[in-house]
Amino acid sequence: MPRLGWLLGRLLQIVPTFLLIGIAVFVLARLLPGDAVSAMLGDRASDETINRLTAQLGLNRSLGAQLLAFLSAAVQGDFGASLSRHVPVLRLVAEALPVTLSLVAIATVLALAIALPLAFIAALNANRWPDIAIRAVFQVGLSSPVFYIGLILLTVFAGWLGWFPVGGYGETFGEHLYHLFLPGLTLSLSFAAVVMRNLRAAVLAVLTAEYVDFARAKGLARSVVLLRHVLRNALIATVTLVGLHVGALLGGAVITETVFAVPGVGRLMIDSIFARDYPVIQALTLVLAVLVSLAFLVTDFVQMWLDPRVGR
Amino acid sequence: MTASLTSTRRGLFGLAAGFAALSLADTAHAAAKRGGKLIYGRYADSLFLDPVLNDANVDIWVINSVYDTLLLPTADGLGVQEGLASKWAFSDGGKTLTLTVRPGVKFSDGSALKITDVKWSLDRARDPKAGAWNDMIASIDAVEVAGPDSIVLKLKTPDPTILAALATFNTGIMSQALFEATPGATPDDKAKAFAEKPVGTGPFMLVEWKRNQVMRLARNPHYWRMAEDGKPLPYVDELEFQIIPDDNTRILKLKAGELHGSEFIPLARVKELQADANLRMELWPSTKVTYLSMMVKPTLADGKPNPLSNQKVRQALNYAVNKDAVIAITTLGLGKPMRSFMSSTTPLFDGPAPLYPYDLAKAKALLAEAGFSGGFEVSCMTVAGNQDNLNNLTTVQQMWAAIGVKLKIEQMDNPSLTKKYRAEDFQMRTAAWTNDISDPGQITSYFAYGPNIHALHSGWDDKRLNEVFLASQQETDPAKRRVQYQEIQKIYADAATIVPLYETPYTVAWRKNVSGFVQIPLGNNYFVGAAIG
Repeated sequence: MPRLGWLLGRLLQIVPTFLLIGIAVFVLARLLPGDAVSAMLGDRASDETINRLTAQLGLNRSLGAQLLAFLSAAVQGDFGASLSRHVPVLRLVAEALPVTLSLVAIATVLALAIALPLAFIAALNANRWPDIAIRAVFQVGLSSPVFYIGLILLTVFAGWLGWFPVGGYGETFGEHLYHLFLPGLTLSLSFAAVVMRNLRAAVLAVLTAEYVDFARAKGLARSVVLLRHVLRNALIATVTLVGLHVGALLGGAVITETVFAVPGVGRLMIDSIFARDYPVIQALTLVLAVLVSLAFLVTDFVQMWLDPRVGR
Repeated sequence: MTASLTSTRRGLFGLAAGFAALSLADTAHAAAKRGGKLIYGRYADSLFLDPVLNDANVDIWVINSVYDTLLLPTADGLGVQEGLASKWAFSDGGKTLTLTVRPGVKFSDGSALKITDVKWSLDRARDPKAGAWNDMIASIDAVEVAGPDSIVLKLKTPDPTILAALATFNTGIMSQALFEATPGATPDDKAKAFAEKPVGTGPFMLVEWKRNQVMRLARNPHYWRMAEDGKPLPYVDELEFQIIPDDNTRILKLKAGELHGSEFIPLARVKELQADANLRMELWPSTKVTYLSMMVKPTLADGKPNPLSNQKVRQALNYAVNKDAVIAITTLGLGKPMRSFMSSTTPLFDGPAPLYPYDLAKAKALLAEAGFSGGFEVSCMTVAGNQDNLNNLTTVQQMWAAIGVKLKIEQMDNPSLTKKYRAEDFQMRTAAWTNDISDPGQITSYFAYGPNIHALHSGWDDKRLNEVFLASQQETDPAKRRVQYQEIQKIYADAATIVPLYETPYTVAWRKNVSGFVQIPLGNNYFVGAAIG
């Protein structure tokens, strides 16, 4: 069972990773100039009020003591209360996380749905007009800022045509999907461009591989060659890319969520950073780190399935 | 200039029509339809709906929908009118204030408002250990119950601001019994839990709150106030705040009919929305002033000498700024020049003429007199990403170049800026201000009165002004207080410790079928009179 051991090892690596991330984010949040209390009270509060609230929130303790308190509570799943919103951090995260996860999932599905067929079409028509057209369009997708794409999609499809609601999240599951389509599409475009280019190159490389020539020579049907030999092998690199890109999608969600008024973790994070709301920043960063680690783990799994050499 | 005309018209409209009889609710739609759900787009969510412990406008500006105060502000922001108290009278040389609370008032859960709730709420609000606002009622020495509907405030000294303070958000009346029954080990814990499901006597009650997404309020069936037609207020059954941080998205949503109204329309978009046949662009007179503030200490925090310590230099910088041009560029003509450090909507405002009208020759002469004819370099900090501030600074940069002054713009995020500001480690800073209370005392204590925060942390400290201000804080004769404030505003203007740029209105856009919304100069939103036609 060497592969199981390898997987266990990967899982175990996650623990020190989280600890390091926990410490790093704690320290980084406090290295930001300005503090939570003056960010909260603005420039009107008296020094007396600032000092009182600082003490009430325990922010006058030494950094070491605060870090210890944070870590020991975090291990027990207690991330404290938001400094600016005065509600338990976990509740804020629990409300926002499913929203962002749905958004990222929709973006990933859309990106793959767009990129996979087009990459194949481009590769099979390499350097002919379909290839050039597809690459040109994706070049635009890749080089346009997310907020700009979002603005255009919102204005055209929601504002002018009225096919979609102008931002928001809705109430029911169906409404959520409906509301998340445009932001998902926005988020997916640059991702789709990366996947498309990567997969196109991979397909081109695989197409010239000897085993493909061999498969063709065996007289296998074109579709079988493409699906079983070309796609599977070309996808290995793409899967890694998708896994790595989940982190980037979570980052892109910050802007997309703002433009589309989606109440996800991206907006919560930005609000919390501006408010120096340390408990929320810490919890969110940890949660995002867990998610990215999980995405990497899933990537490893899929890779292992696609490429039996992995984990040996 | 059509825009400022509109502004005036709306202001007068709100004043004359809305407030004469009904207060904070238009009479223009006395026959307005009742019912329906009013959907309003806000740029940011509320944080903490506690009248005493909140610290942000996102709370302050909407909290009046849930909590009532003993008195209510008038729409012009200059006076007070009946609220939970129907009568009030001073005695004992202004040191005792007796208020009569109207009978039969109920909280939104149906329980009766007791006079002890009033005492408890005011005592909570004035606790020096609670929140950031207790200073506004620091003159109260004791709150006494004098009968089932009578409350007596014993003041340490006569306080001309006390009535305005009793119409300010932090003196909102809560239910002692409900608060104490709220789960939580400490009063702070109880406050947190209570603020999530606040119960007040206001026109609306909170029914659902999804953070960063939506806040739903329903009409309070027990609300005490009646409309002109004798039927209960508010008009709408439901009030929904949708949180849409992006200005463009909020406007698109309004245009698509997914919102009835939207706050904070960027000034650059006002003309476009004014031209939209489906919308009504409202410009509410505000207490918002935008200015550059200066450090006046002779030495900066980094040890360098500070030319701004010279009054003539500060006056020169003021004369060198063409405010009309700044107003045209940043506010697209929607702003107006400042005539005092306080807005023209502030009680006791006194501004005979716009401050420091553009005069390049005078500016040069003053600089020469001060020994700076060769100019100098000055830096100004601003919040990164605030386009209006950046427009102002780049415009001023070019104007000051004409007198040899080189302006360096330092962008940083707000907490960083606040830290440097509080530490008095800056040379200039851009800022905007709105009053929280309908009285000039607050803005004066921050801008001009030295002992509070060194006059906007500038280090400026004028003995005469300090004296007049302290006296004015106890002057109950309005005429005398007006004279004091004339002097305060004159001294401050001459000192030129700020570069006053402009006053701007609050911008709210509505679908044409909605009427009756009021935003007072302090910024508070009143939905009690809003109706969907």
